[in-house]
Amino acid sequence: MRALAQLTLANTREFTRDRAALFWTFAFPLLFVLIFGLVFSRDSAAEYEVGLINQDESPQASVLVDTLEAIDVFDLSRGNLADEIASLEDGDRRAVIAIPSGFGASIDAGTPMSVDIHYDETRQSSQQVVVPVILQAFEVAERTLTRSQPVVRPAFQTLRSERLSTIDFIVPGIVAFSVMNAGVFGAVNIVSLRERRVLRRLQATPVSRLTLVSADLILRMVLVLAQSAILIAVARLVFDIRLDTNAGALAALAGVLVLGGLAFLAIGFFLGSFTKTEQGFFPVAQVVTFPMMFISGVFFPLEFMPDWLRPVINVLPLTHLAEATRQLMIGGATSIPMGISVAAMAAYLVVFVALAVRLFRWE
Amino acid sequence: MSVIEVQDLRKSYDDVKAVDGVSFTVEVGEVFGMLGPNGAGKTTTVEILEGLRPRDSGAVRVLDLDPGREAGDLKRKIGVQLQQVSLYPRLRVAEVIELFASFYGRAGVADHLLALLGLEERRRAFVKDLSGGQQQRLSVALAMVNDPPVIFLDEPTTGMDPQARRSLWETIEQFKAEGRTVLLTTHYMEEAERLCDRVAVMDHGCIIAMDTPEDLVRTHFAEDAIEFSQRDGLTEADVETLPAVVNASIQGDRVSMFSDDVPASMAALLQLGQERGEPIQNLRLRRATLEDVFLKLTGRTLRD
Repeated sequence: MRALAQLTLANTREFTRDRAALFWTFAFPLLFVLIFGLVFSRDSAAEYEVGLINQDESPQASVLVDTLEAIDVFDLSRGNLADEIASLEDGDRRAVIAIPSGFGASIDAGTPMSVDIHYDETRQSSQQVVVPVILQAFEVAERTLTRSQPVVRPAFQTLRSERLSTIDFIVPGIVAFSVMNAGVFGAVNIVSLRERRVLRRLQATPVSRLTLVSADLILRMVLVLAQSAILIAVARLVFDIRLDTNAGALAALAGVLVLGGLAFLAIGFFLGSFTKTEQGFFPVAQVVTFPMMFISGVFFPLEFMPDWLRPVINVLPLTHLAEATRQLMIGGATSIPMGISVAAMAAYLVVFVALAVRLFRWE
Repeated sequence: MSVIEVQDLRKSYDDVKAVDGVSFTVEVGEVFGMLGPNGAGKTTTVEILEGLRPRDSGAVRVLDLDPGREAGDLKRKIGVQLQQVSLYPRLRVAEVIELFASFYGRAGVADHLLALLGLEERRRAFVKDLSGGQQQRLSVALAMVNDPPVIFLDEPTTGMDPQARRSLWETIEQFKAEGRTVLLTTHYMEEAERLCDRVAVMDHGCIIAMDTPEDLVRTHFAEDAIEFSQRDGLTEADVETLPAVVNASIQGDRVSMFSDDVPASMAALLQLGQERGEPIQNLRLRRATLEDVFLKLTGRTLRD
């Protein structure tokens, strides 16, 4: 027991006195959360610059102007047509609306009147968001002017009380991705000890292989939990992400993260048995972890992935860790049932521990 | 009583015979040296005795245990220092000692060992900030954490400056004075001559000579060595035909000759030099050393 405690203490000291290791374990994932959070945070709802030129003094034209002004996501600027078109061409406007003179008179006369909407069709958001909103505003204005009532009134009933935002989706992904890195790259410790012949030296003492590996596991799992707790706490404080704070759910989350961390550490030990040096280990670990980061549903929902890739994605360990983490943090249905994800991670753990034990070398 | 018994030990890697039929015994309280160049099989032999490598064949007992089958029990009792271990760089010296002590269920041994190895002032230093010699001393300290009766030291003074080397020699002499048995490998003949009660000279996996350092030299060289520098007037044949000279060699401008009767050889040499008009410079007389023995037995120097 004293040996296990001392070895764990030694590993902890080696880790906490290594600034690079501290950065990659704690600061790097946190940067990910902060960057994604600032990009996708719901507080910074997008605003679209829209130019409006009213060449008609009629009350009917005022109704249309008022309707457009009531749209929150539009930042209206009023000017003359030439300047606004120039701004559109420079990319400073998403659309320019020109109400022609004689608009009111034409409505009074009952003849339809064209209102020009200028936009840049190469900008996706203009076409998909701005133009439909303008058209909707036109309909609202038209009903006001014709005093007609809508016959079909939509009433949205969402599954969850709160709408799920992108950051709610991404934070569990980043947590899973960080656990993967802490696990796989955590195995570099054994590679480094072997390269520096410390393993050989330890072999000459009565300390057992089990004690040696257990000391490593204890530190790595504490790091996995600490890293995840910091990430989740910061994301919740800064971006108010959704989190199931029920004690049972949090305990299950910790369990899933430790299981995933152990599975990835075992994979790291396995990879480490093929590399002689610390320098040789990193590229191998990168090759394994990097593709998973993009296709395992960490940053994009699995539904976005092409069908032919799904069989591959469905067996990747990060897919299961990310899905299980997300389900426990935000609840609701996921693409893969929880039981299957947990079983898959347990299978990875057992298989790769067996392989790592078989391939273990002191030197 | 023998502490280490080795009988016809063999170990091959692929087709290289690293250890090729080695036999020796080491008695209690003895400092036993294995002398030889790199690749002679010293380290492989020692690591088999320490229970770190399996042997192909041969009988081995250390403290009456078989290092192959009883490695666990053996490791608790012996002290080991290995070559080229870079310990935990970000641990402090005293922390590393307490870590290793914990493997033997011990604690609180750092002060004593730091004093013994002259590392008191570095106790709070990080391992990565130690000099090469200090790291070597730390690794010898680690071999002492379990207060072992037998200590294996594999080239303990490699990379040390002469002063640090001398101070480690004193420490090893102290181990001996305490009644501990030491098995030491080295390729410094001066180290073997100073420390070892007996020396086994190894080359190509075999022990080619084994005795006390004095007897090794006496067996192979009944003579003393006369050395001098010259331009190029004298050939090996000239020197070998001088009275009482048994063996001579010329390396560059430096001539060594071994003589049964130093005054007779020296007088004849000076006379020959005068006749040839060849100045005999830097003339000196010395005892034959283990280095000379090794050169005679293998035709190579220890550093080759």
